[in-house]
Amino acid sequence: MHTEKLDNILETTGKSSSELIEVLQEVQKTYNYLPEDILRNVSEKLEVPLIEVFRVANFYKAFTLKPRGEHILTVCMGTACHVRGAPKFLDEVLGQLGIKPGETTEDGEFTVETVNCLGACALGPVVVLDGKYYDHMTAGKLRVLIQKYRNKSCKESKKQ
Amino acid sequence: MNEYVTLTINGSKVKTPQGTSVLDAALSYGICIPHLCHMPGISPIGACRLCIVEVVKNGKSKVTTSCTLEVEEGMVILAHTERILKARKNIAEMLVAEAPNSRAIQDIALRCGVKEVRYPFRNKDCVLCGRCVRICAETWQSKSLGFVGRGSERHVALPFDKRPEFCKQCNDCINVCPMTITPCPGPMKKGEEFFCGLCESQLSMAENIVDTCVDCRLGEGFNCLRAKNK
Repeated sequence: MHTEKLDNILETTGKSSSELIEVLQEVQKTYNYLPEDILRNVSEKLEVPLIEVFRVANFYKAFTLKPRGEHILTVCMGTACHVRGAPKFLDEVLGQLGIKPGETTEDGEFTVETVNCLGACALGPVVVLDGKYYDHMTAGKLRVLIQKYRNKSCKESKKQ
Repeated sequence: MNEYVTLTINGSKVKTPQGTSVLDAALSYGICIPHLCHMPGISPIGACRLCIVEVVKNGKSKVTTSCTLEVEEGMVILAHTERILKARKNIAEMLVAEAPNSRAIQDIALRCGVKEVRYPFRNKDCVLCGRCVRICAETWQSKSLGFVGRGSERHVALPFDKRPEFCKQCNDCINVCPMTITPCPGPMKKGEEFFCGLCESQLSMAENIVDTCVDCRLGEGFNCLRAKNK
């Protein structure tokens, strides 16, 4: 079952060793992270040494080897956001979710990441949740936002 | 037939086949340039920076690592100038600060004229010389381990931190590692590191005999002339 998905990916990207990053990006899109057995298959199919695949997967921040949550919360820790109080509300959020930066909550709902600058300093502190930007964040606003997403996914699971 | 080139290292004429590195040429003539990451028969990476030399060209000199420098006809190399000795001493000092728990590194540093370490000790288990990585990939064609991570988090690792099934278990990665020989006073704890320098008294005897570093099994032929001209 796993290899089928990978074969589909390899059909679109090709099996050249130079397509490694592209393949990994597709794998990440499909599985939301890079599973170990898939990477072993990638190494075999593309004829790239396993350590090379592992190295590339570790090098880029866009790749992750751990399963990620459904919602990805990125908190900007750039200079402007830092000055406007990003570390304070980050602490609060982490306390609320009970995790550290880069970790995922136990229920697999949220992954919190920090980033050095999103390039939207005038809007700081900036938070990105599932690709959507939220400006002028405060601890209160963020708590409401997280609760909203929690409720949303709760409702969805109830419907199912 | 190999084509030969003639170059000058420290004022002496050296004739060597084309394609060899300046470091290999110097070592084959008994001119000792300290080195750590270099291994005979394995591709150079210039990681430890100990083998730096001055290359004189058009009246200007440039500092580069001699292990990655290929010989050229009429090259002029100066391996033990004051500028080089000073820089090399500093590099050796930093290596000791990075990994004091290695007799090989302590030994090299002593021979480069280090008296004390002015940098804070980090006491890592690795100086990223890449000996293990290269011997695995080149001699054994296995590629079981490699550099992972970037910047200050760069380290040697196995894929997924597990020994892969294609690892030949030759143990060469451990045999060539400079960290396997502990310094004479024993392993150093964090916060209690120091520059050993115990064998300094033996240096004067060992200095002029080839291949008699105090215990430098790693740098074969490593017989760094200490700052004699100082």
